[in-house]
Amino acid sequence: MNIYFYIIRRMAYMIPILLGVCLVIFFLFNVVAPDPAMIMLGKHATAKQILEVRKELGLDRPWFSQYLDIVKSSFTFDFGRSWSTKQEIVDMIKNGAIPSLTVAIPAFIIATILSIVISMFVAFYRGSLLDKMTVFVCVALMSLSSLAYILFGQWFFAFKLGWFEISGYEPVFPQIISYVALPVIIWVILEVGPDVRFYRTVVLDEVYQDYVRTARSKGLSEKVILFKHILKNAMIPIITSIIIQIPFLILGALLLESFFGIPGLGGITLNAINSSDFPVIKAMTVLSAVAFIIFSVITDVMYTLVDPRIRLK
Amino acid sequence: MKNLALMLFVISLIGGTFTSCSKKEIEKVKTLHLYVSTQVKGMDPIFADDRYSSNEVGRVYEGLLEYHYLMRPYTLVPNLAEKLPEVSKDGLTYTFSIKKGVLFHDDKCFPNGTGRELIAEDFVYSLKRLADPKLQSSGWWILDGKIKGLNEWREKNTGKPSVDYAEEVEGLKALDRYNLQFKLTRPYPQFLYALAMSFAFAVPREAVEHYGPAFLNHPVGTGAFILPEFKQTNKIVYVKNTKFRNKTYPTDASDELKNLLEDAGKPLPLVDKIEVEIVIESQPAWLNFQKGNSDYMGVPKDNFASAIQGNTLSDDLKAKGIELIVEPSLDVTYVAFNHDSELFKNKKLRQAMYLAQDIVKQNELFYNNTGLPAESIVPPGISGHIKMYKNPFRGPDLEKAKKLLAEAGYPEGKGLPEITYDCPSSTVSRQIGEHFKQEMAKVGINIKVVQNPWPELQSKVQKRTIMTYGMAWGADYPDAENFLQLLYGPNRSPGPNGSGYNNPEFNQLYKSSSMMQDSPERTALYEKMYRIAAEDVPMMYGVHRQSYVVKHGWLRNYISTDFEVGQAQYLNVDQEKKKSLIGKL
Repeated sequence: MNIYFYIIRRMAYMIPILLGVCLVIFFLFNVVAPDPAMIMLGKHATAKQILEVRKELGLDRPWFSQYLDIVKSSFTFDFGRSWSTKQEIVDMIKNGAIPSLTVAIPAFIIATILSIVISMFVAFYRGSLLDKMTVFVCVALMSLSSLAYILFGQWFFAFKLGWFEISGYEPVFPQIISYVALPVIIWVILEVGPDVRFYRTVVLDEVYQDYVRTARSKGLSEKVILFKHILKNAMIPIITSIIIQIPFLILGALLLESFFGIPGLGGITLNAINSSDFPVIKAMTVLSAVAFIIFSVITDVMYTLVDPRIRLK
Repeated sequence: MKNLALMLFVISLIGGTFTSCSKKEIEKVKTLHLYVSTQVKGMDPIFADDRYSSNEVGRVYEGLLEYHYLMRPYTLVPNLAEKLPEVSKDGLTYTFSIKKGVLFHDDKCFPNGTGRELIAEDFVYSLKRLADPKLQSSGWWILDGKIKGLNEWREKNTGKPSVDYAEEVEGLKALDRYNLQFKLTRPYPQFLYALAMSFAFAVPREAVEHYGPAFLNHPVGTGAFILPEFKQTNKIVYVKNTKFRNKTYPTDASDELKNLLEDAGKPLPLVDKIEVEIVIESQPAWLNFQKGNSDYMGVPKDNFASAIQGNTLSDDLKAKGIELIVEPSLDVTYVAFNHDSELFKNKKLRQAMYLAQDIVKQNELFYNNTGLPAESIVPPGISGHIKMYKNPFRGPDLEKAKKLLAEAGYPEGKGLPEITYDCPSSTVSRQIGEHFKQEMAKVGINIKVVQNPWPELQSKVQKRTIMTYGMAWGADYPDAENFLQLLYGPNRSPGPNGSGYNNPEFNQLYKSSSMMQDSPERTALYEKMYRIAAEDVPMMYGVHRQSYVVKHGWLRNYISTDFEVGQAQYLNVDQEKKKSLIGKL
């Protein structure tokens, strides 16, 4: 199948998926969520004012009309204003995306490269003490809560040693480094443990395949086998794992952003959840659904590039 | 290992270099470093409905009146008003003269970008905005039903495509360029307090029309500080308004605050810049304070034990030049009953539950013993609170509680259904709920703790699908009426009376007092209501909390107050002292 046709077809699948997402959002809005008028008006609300706000928000209209509004906003990306901050949600997302990505992109790239390198390395020395120690360290890293890393890192490296700012964000180079370096390091530590374990397993799965035995019997060196043959074959699950993480990068890291005062999308989402700010929650849900669909298409396309045996259907 | 050490060295070098760079830049001008623990809701006065947002709004905007910075009990003084208003004998007409020559901040919304003079019409416009049905301000309650013709104007414009600001409202008139008159529908002695709230601050029509919905990000006020643009981010930076009118630091003070007169008579504001950091989590906020990155902050609950020993500051913090300020807050925590429920119409049951509750223990466990156990609804510090009053039903007295429970028809809790206790979803609220459950179990009452996100709890209270719930109320203004209204029958939810308590005697007293100006007669009525609110046990009172604030030695003129709006203009930073103290941190 033509790759462009495949992409168009997959993108068309987005429509029913988004309609489903809208239905879930609608259900959350109308059944689970508290009355938005009460949220907006606060402790001195009167019954009359609640009715007025409900009218103003269009909550007195038939349900299908309200559902269509959600569908429309999901396709046009016009999410209106936040109930809590009264800001344009699109502007909030634009303002929050860069700080989130400032932390997420370097952390993600460093963690991914480091994890692949370490996993190849320990796979090369599989069964050795080094391999066992690495697995042990990975499990140890994964056993600690992310909060423990954040609290300790902030107290020790930023407060005691003064290597970094404790919290905050300055969108100016080079000051930005002192604000984002520590959250990036913590992100990398949090990511490396599970990634190394996963990539190591993927590589080891390949190590015992017939083609590796054939390559060895042909007299190829272990390095060539590892980096030329095994790595190429192990790339499919690695790519899946990497690309599928990208939508979550855009949405930011809730705890890291909250503790380090990074004004990113994670913090925006967290605030929206705490204050039941449904237009923002709706926007973030739609955004993540769209990002997820787009990146799963990219994953499929990447498969064909990495492994020509795969055909798009 | 060598590589690891090298990597750490490089990281420390990079981080350390840029850390010190940023600090040097910050300290060039006299700067106040503040912190807030929640997101700020923009800079439109009519939407500033929480303490944090109204504090930010109050740096840029001003109202007719403000609280005297150094007077206790809280006293209203003129701010943009020339003097306190003339009030007619019937208490229905208030006439204000406003100060001449007050300028709005320079902004591109004005011709040539130069701020124009504030006039009486600006208040008419600003208060109409508060009533605008299209905007649906959460601050409308301060004027709702109080100004002649304003509700009718709002009604008339509801549902219309555009709101007619040109239409005159009988009770809200600019008599001329500098004179303003309010006509009230009924005597409303708290009206002046309402005018001191940020909802009633003056905004220029040009800015609202120029920026449209984005006005909340482009504050244009008359205040001591200018914020060129508000961005929903983690830092708000204000600069001094160099055209600020000739307003000076107070020269008189209450006896206990006379030590804060060092800057008396100096022109305001006293600093050149304010940097407000938004730090949601308490650990980074506390660490930042200890590093000198913020000038003062409330002591976080989790750091209380290490920071405060006995009732004084730890030696470690004292050695760093940090000072502790303890002030009672005008608030009350409580567990309310849903009075719509037949179960809680049984007064003896309510009294028994209150007697079973150990507030002293709760204060020790959850407030680090810093709260003042409450005897009734009105906190100390405002008239209507009865000093030394002891509520006969305040626990713990398990024997008496059991006796009353039996008299209520539920001996040892037999026959009593499970009672739900709804609370917010924070850890501390849950812990308080679990403690309440244990206390009630001692007399045989079975409690189920239900946690809710805050809006959900609000919704349950307003829809009255609740049995008991834990909450707190902080003063909007320093008048007992603001607390007593929680028990006034006609205020039942969705009004502020969430419990639905409805006692005709209490209602009558409240209605009579609400017409009276501050006087010994009114205080006597407040005290009667205080006793009813105590002995009828419409709710189980918890504590009146106290604020424990730590500040650095270089910060001058700071006092802990319940009404912080506009406080920043009075604060000063002793740069020399800061240089010497910062080295100790």
